[in-house]
Amino acid sequence: VIGASNRRYAHIGDVIVAVIKEAVPNTPLERSEVIRAVIVRTRKELKRDNGMIIRYDDNVAVIIDQEGNPKGTRIFGTIARELRQLNFTKIVSLAPEVL
Amino acid sequence: MRLEKCWFCSSTVYPGHGIQFVRNDAKIFRFCRSKCHKNFKMKRNPRKVKWTKAYRRLHGKDMTQDSTFEFERKRNRPERYDRNLAENTLKAIKKIDKIISDRASDHIKNRLKTGKVQRQKEARKQLELGIHLVKAPLALAQDSSLCLPKIKVNVSQAQTEENQPMED
Repeated sequence: VIGASNRRYAHIGDVIVAVIKEAVPNTPLERSEVIRAVIVRTRKELKRDNGMIIRYDDNVAVIIDQEGNPKGTRIFGTIARELRQLNFTKIVSLAPEVL
Repeated sequence: MRLEKCWFCSSTVYPGHGIQFVRNDAKIFRFCRSKCHKNFKMKRNPRKVKWTKAYRRLHGKDMTQDSTFEFERKRNRPERYDRNLAENTLKAIKKIDKIISDRASDHIKNRLKTGKVQRQKEARKQLELGIHLVKAPLALAQDSSLCLPKIKVNVSQAQTEENQPMED
């Protein structure tokens, strides 16, 4: 997890360092490339200050570059509103639905 | 702030309660408590689970069609705040609540009426058959309509026999 020393688990909105295990051919990404990604959906519940608790069905991250812009051009699925506060505006604007 | 309905049991979810689950196709399921959430995870169909509103409506235990349900429809347009409107709405909510609960209990009472009538009929029949268990013999004696007529017999007793002591 970037920006937190030796943290065990990352949550929605955290940037992580990851390595690519599987790659679709004909993309600019290759297997065993070290990349950064921001987590957008987790199976673990996200708690909000107003008491709302949200759980998604899968664990998903979006690959980003050093500045926080997504490497891809499309985003699938819902995004949590917390990402907007963390300055991931490009991701939030590309998302089909923000929850 | 919005009061939602639990997907499983159809009770209202107040803010700060329950869990929302977002499926991969972006459908949101809201649950009022972990009981409903766990049942959902077990893949139970609420239409088959007896204590849910869905089951009760489906099997005719609770009323399904009513004009008051129009009030609870989901409206996506927020209303401009108007003090009078808000005041009237609050008053109306109270009244409507009472009407809804009255109608619902009437529905249930009507449903249970046939059972009550049948039970009374059965009880009457049982009373006729087993009257000897119910009325005490004393009561039967007093009430001349229930037993054979009594015949009075006069017995004359010679008094001298009693007073004379035993002969030695």
